[in-house]
Amino acid sequence: MSTRTPTPTPRLAWITTALALLTGLAAPALASPDEKVIRIPMSTAGPGDLDPVQGSTTYESRVCSTFYETLLEYEYLVRPFKLRPLVLEEMPTVEQDGKLWKFKLRDDVYFHDADCFPGGKGRKMVAADVIYSWKRMADPEYTYENWWLVDKLILGFNEYKDAQGALVDEGKAFDYDAPVEGMRIINDREFEIELTEANQQFAWKLAMFQFSIVPREAVEKYGAKFTRRPVGTGPFLVKSEKDWVVGSGLVVYRNPNYREAFYPTEHMPEDVEAGLTEAAGQQIPFVDRIEFGFYPEAQPMWLEFKGNTLDYTTIPQFALEETISRRTKKLKREWRSRNIHMDKVPLLDFIFRSFNMDDERVGGYTEDRKALRRAFNLAMDWDEMNEALYHGMALAYDGPIPPGLDGHPNNEDHRVANSTRGADYDKAREELRKAGYEIGPDGKAIDFEPIRFYTARSQESNRVVELLQRNFDVVGIKINPVYVDFPTLMDVTNRKKAPMFSFAWGSDYPDAENNLQLYYGPYESPGSNHSNYKNSEYDLMYEQLRTMAIGPERTVHIEKMRDILIEDAPFCGSLARTRVYLTHPWVKNFKPTETFFTYFKYLDVDMDHEDRGE
Amino acid sequence: MWGFIARKLIYNVPVYLGIILIVMLALRVQDPTLMKLGKNATPAQIESVSKSMGLDQPFVIQYFELLKNVVTFDFQEESWSHGGKSVGEMLKSSIPMSLAITVPTLGLSAIIGVCIALVAAYYRGRAVDRVLMIVAVLGMSISYLVYIIFGQFFGAFLPRQALGGENWPFEITGYGPLFLGEGATPMNWVSFYMLPVIIGLIVSLGYDTRFYRAVMVEESSRDYITTALAKGASKPKVIFVHMLKNAMIPIITRVMSTLPFLITGAVLMEIYFKIPGMGFQLINALTNLDFPVIQGFVAVLAAMFILTVIATDVLYALVDPRVRLS
Amino acid sequence: MIRRMARSRAWRKFTRNRTALVATGVIGLYAAIFLTIVGTQITDWAGVTNIGSRQGLQMRVLPPKWPGFLESAGIEQRYDAHDWQVSNLNRLFRKDLESMADPSGELAAVSLGERKLADKPIAELRALNEQLNEQFDAVGEVYDIYDEVNEEHHDLDDAIAKAKEGGDEEELAALRAQIEPLEQRRRDAESQLSTALDAVDEVYEELMPQPTGFGGVVYRFRTMFGSDVLGQSISGRAFYSIKIAFQVGLVVATISVLIGTLLGAVAGFYGGWIDSAVMWLISTLSSIPYLVLLAVLAFMFSGHQYFDNSAEYPELQLVKLYTAMGLTFWVGTARVIRGEVMKIKELEYVQAATAIGFGRFYIVLKHVIPNTFHIMFINFSLLFIGAIKSEVILSFLGLGVSGQPSWGTMISNSKDDLSNYFFWEVGAASFLMFVLVLAFNIVSDALQDAFDPKHV
Repeated sequence: MSTRTPTPTPRLAWITTALALLTGLAAPALASPDEKVIRIPMSTAGPGDLDPVQGSTTYESRVCSTFYETLLEYEYLVRPFKLRPLVLEEMPTVEQDGKLWKFKLRDDVYFHDADCFPGGKGRKMVAADVIYSWKRMADPEYTYENWWLVDKLILGFNEYKDAQGALVDEGKAFDYDAPVEGMRIINDREFEIELTEANQQFAWKLAMFQFSIVPREAVEKYGAKFTRRPVGTGPFLVKSEKDWVVGSGLVVYRNPNYREAFYPTEHMPEDVEAGLTEAAGQQIPFVDRIEFGFYPEAQPMWLEFKGNTLDYTTIPQFALEETISRRTKKLKREWRSRNIHMDKVPLLDFIFRSFNMDDERVGGYTEDRKALRRAFNLAMDWDEMNEALYHGMALAYDGPIPPGLDGHPNNEDHRVANSTRGADYDKAREELRKAGYEIGPDGKAIDFEPIRFYTARSQESNRVVELLQRNFDVVGIKINPVYVDFPTLMDVTNRKKAPMFSFAWGSDYPDAENNLQLYYGPYESPGSNHSNYKNSEYDLMYEQLRTMAIGPERTVHIEKMRDILIEDAPFCGSLARTRVYLTHPWVKNFKPTETFFTYFKYLDVDMDHEDRGE
Repeated sequence: MWGFIARKLIYNVPVYLGIILIVMLALRVQDPTLMKLGKNATPAQIESVSKSMGLDQPFVIQYFELLKNVVTFDFQEESWSHGGKSVGEMLKSSIPMSLAITVPTLGLSAIIGVCIALVAAYYRGRAVDRVLMIVAVLGMSISYLVYIIFGQFFGAFLPRQALGGENWPFEITGYGPLFLGEGATPMNWVSFYMLPVIIGLIVSLGYDTRFYRAVMVEESSRDYITTALAKGASKPKVIFVHMLKNAMIPIITRVMSTLPFLITGAVLMEIYFKIPGMGFQLINALTNLDFPVIQGFVAVLAAMFILTVIATDVLYALVDPRVRLS
Repeated sequence: MIRRMARSRAWRKFTRNRTALVATGVIGLYAAIFLTIVGTQITDWAGVTNIGSRQGLQMRVLPPKWPGFLESAGIEQRYDAHDWQVSNLNRLFRKDLESMADPSGELAAVSLGERKLADKPIAELRALNEQLNEQFDAVGEVYDIYDEVNEEHHDLDDAIAKAKEGGDEEELAALRAQIEPLEQRRRDAESQLSTALDAVDEVYEELMPQPTGFGGVVYRFRTMFGSDVLGQSISGRAFYSIKIAFQVGLVVATISVLIGTLLGAVAGFYGGWIDSAVMWLISTLSSIPYLVLLAVLAFMFSGHQYFDNSAEYPELQLVKLYTAMGLTFWVGTARVIRGEVMKIKELEYVQAATAIGFGRFYIVLKHVIPNTFHIMFINFSLLFIGAIKSEVILSFLGLGVSGQPSWGTMISNSKDDLSNYFFWEVGAASFLMFVLVLAFNIVSDALQDAFDPKHV
């Protein structure tokens, strides 16, 4: 007899069925029969804002990508990542080595129907909308949440921001009609942007949700409510404020007036077998409704996925054990028998422990300080952390550049020549001696005063700290963990008060420049260079990098920068997580990624699949 | 009667004013704007945020502003972590969600607890009584947390896994997106709230049963019971009719005094079952240092408590007219 | 005072209650553990000893998530554990241990608590490690066969399920005929695999023998409830958590009982405006649920230099928790004491004392409060329970303890393991807490019975 499935004992089945009959109830079904609904979980309390200029997290990016659109988007199926026009007629033409960008909008992009428009009918999107939307980043009303994206990037934009900021301080209104030198509207469909310097990364930014296009009427009509009542051009829309229940869920509905747009035809060879090409050329979007559920606790999310009432999920850390064999790293057979599909998505992830280079004890650029920081590096066991906390699914590597990008050490062990990644306790002791510590007979540094280590409060950080303390203890390094809320962590690092702290950086776009800027001197705290690393040689190289065109020369340049960082060791690193997605068989056209989130419009659901739960 | 209510109100208003004063002062020990924005915020940012909360005004004005908000139940301030959502809206949406768990739990627990207590009192000192009381003590000694974690696992997850989702009435989490915008139906209530209510019931039954039993035992030693029994009334009738009637006051006190516990106790339930009630929102606001929400919610929670206190007294007076005179 | 109590009839009644005595013993046991932990911490701090409880708790004692007593690990788990052990050892033996002046530090780095590398020359250990690797590689091969058979088995199951649906009886019969031989093959593969794993165990035992003697007893204690995801001892952490529980319980119960008694007695004895003021305070504070109060305090002290700084002042972190509970928990005690004092006030000896001309406050301290001792005692144990249970919930919510083990953090860390059917960590923390709370419940019941039988 089969022993595979965990069938209930007859008694349990009897009782439960009786109870179900007694209460005379089945789960509620509110969806009308022929509506296609996809149910998507997010392991968070949800987005804070639905307004792109006020959003910054990946969760905000996910939801905003459903009802807003940017100029460019990522090719859904193509890897490595590639951009393509979304509301543009064609890719922008770039002149003067990347200084002048010319755009032409599509002619059939309309905003959602909403009562902010005359007659409630969404109007056509024009070039002025793009400029207006971007200018909002300079408006103090939105606390400059995303200003860093355009800081010193567009000609005259900084001056505009300062002038308008002064106006607002005087109590006058922010003037959206005042011109910006580098933003020029040619006609309703055409405009050009002039940058302060040649910049190749601008194109990636254009696909970030913060650059989404919003209609001025809606912002002005809804005011503070705009962030709950988004009006965009996207394939989905929000019908009313009630569609977002804070902390619980968000529902978006299919935009009935969405323009002619089709499932992409360009794809990778392996996509054919995965069934991702069958819908090529069909009109999108496919589903009538997306229900985002927010799950601050992972267990309920996982249980619902297992109960077939969520259509796909990422595997929470605790569940990796029951789904994936540690030995073969494959999905276990029980799951494959249910026709559940697994995708591993390596994240553009840079998890590291950072030092404050201005700190009296761990900072500085003298040989002994470098040796001390390298000792930390060498005593840290990333592989153990990977096995213990990530089921061996993450990837430990040298340097700040995550796998999949130029400049990542692509050898077997992901190491560079001057690697200082641990755990190598012997070498760590050697470096400690160089740093001026005496090593006792038990192999531990004598009189090592604990160093404060700041980390955001979470279940995971408890474990990380315990593991770090255990690793460090082998060579006598001591840390004093300080658990703080995330805003406090940001505050302490911004004020350069944390000698050592735990951080993670998810690349905003797939280019090493985004990670290397974390150590650019002028970006020191409160900028993104929280290590306050200052190295004139490195800074110069970074400035050159920004204007370089992609090619082998640039890769060498990046690798050089990476090696300088590893030598100076302003951080300990690194780890990139792999997100593992499980998808139920009734979900179609899903190729998971965490780099962009415009893919919801391509998803399709077989509502009649026998296993799909309500 | 109205005089009595008025007296109670007058007595409790200063209490409430005191609470609000303490809370508002405590929340301003560290500058909430700076906590939110970090110490590097630009003056413009600080100004716009404090203005939105009225923090730039003198404390007295802020104090009366908040009182006005509570009295009119109109909180216009915007949440700092949920853009565009006013504190009032959050309150309005979360209060019913909390009440949908607490009220049934409270009511059922009182009814079932009293019934069990009556049975125990009837068989006082015998095996039935002993077993019931041992079970109650054991039940009381298990942490609320453990009840919730295991309750969800055995009450929703395992049976759903075994029978398939369609054959099991309880949802794993208490508030699915399905609920959105469609309005609550009794059916929704059963699938989303019944399990939390059952768990809450199990938690509070231990305490309640013991308490009600003690009440009954005390009542049973009163003279009127002896008299009634001597007059030839049957024991069940005496216990279930005479005694119960006289035990109403302690029962009401108990029910009302459990209400605060249930509201705070529901926090865990709300988090675990994903029900965006008051506790859930408050804890969320705390992790995000969302000052307007914390202030508004605390003010309203305290007001709710005071109201329960007053309601208790009024109920007393209804049950036992002598109270009115004291 | 205590002597008087010990001689009373009520006390004799209490001591006749056997369950209550056992429960008192249990509480005493917990208290002894608490005192030991605090004691070592104090001597550590004073520099007399260097036991360093933290390293002891963070020590690896077993492979990650290893089950505790009675439960034996499954095949997959055993394989993963071996994999973990072998890679740990390989990392050690990859180094040039022979040329090191003193490799003992390196050798100690792989030990699991008291389970250390055998006391043999390095060359011999190295040879044993080679052997271990060989055996482990052999397991890999057998495992592949086992996997294959399992895969076939699943395929067959699926085929049968399909045939059943299709109603094709003939095919179904044919498929069913395959079950038995396949089952046989699976059993064979499984026993083969299990033998291979046993062989690894044998070599491993030789390389890292189970500790004997006192070390063995300690190791058995450490591994009693298995290990958590970092391979740390669950029992060690669960028992260590008694410290926080007692600390919170003692501080909160003491503060609350003292404040409650004092204010209650004063209010009851003096009456008049003092009584009104205390009653007002009582009703004010009981209108704030302590969780709300704690929320306010947590907001107030968030990121505070002293009160939210787990590194330098770990104990001060708990001040807000003490304050929140202390401020709200005393009101119950005060109410009861006030009622009792109002009765005592009318007693003859108090009247007599007043007549003699003793100061009123003196009378309260000397004659009134001692007579409420039993109430204080009962309230103390009830508040103790309340504080412990709240601490667990608050730590779970992240408002309580961080940076040291507590039942709340243990439950919060491992709650998700339920869906892996790994109950040890949640179970150990819940169980230890359950026993303590149960003991306190029984004792306070017995006390109530003995001293205050009429109290509701």
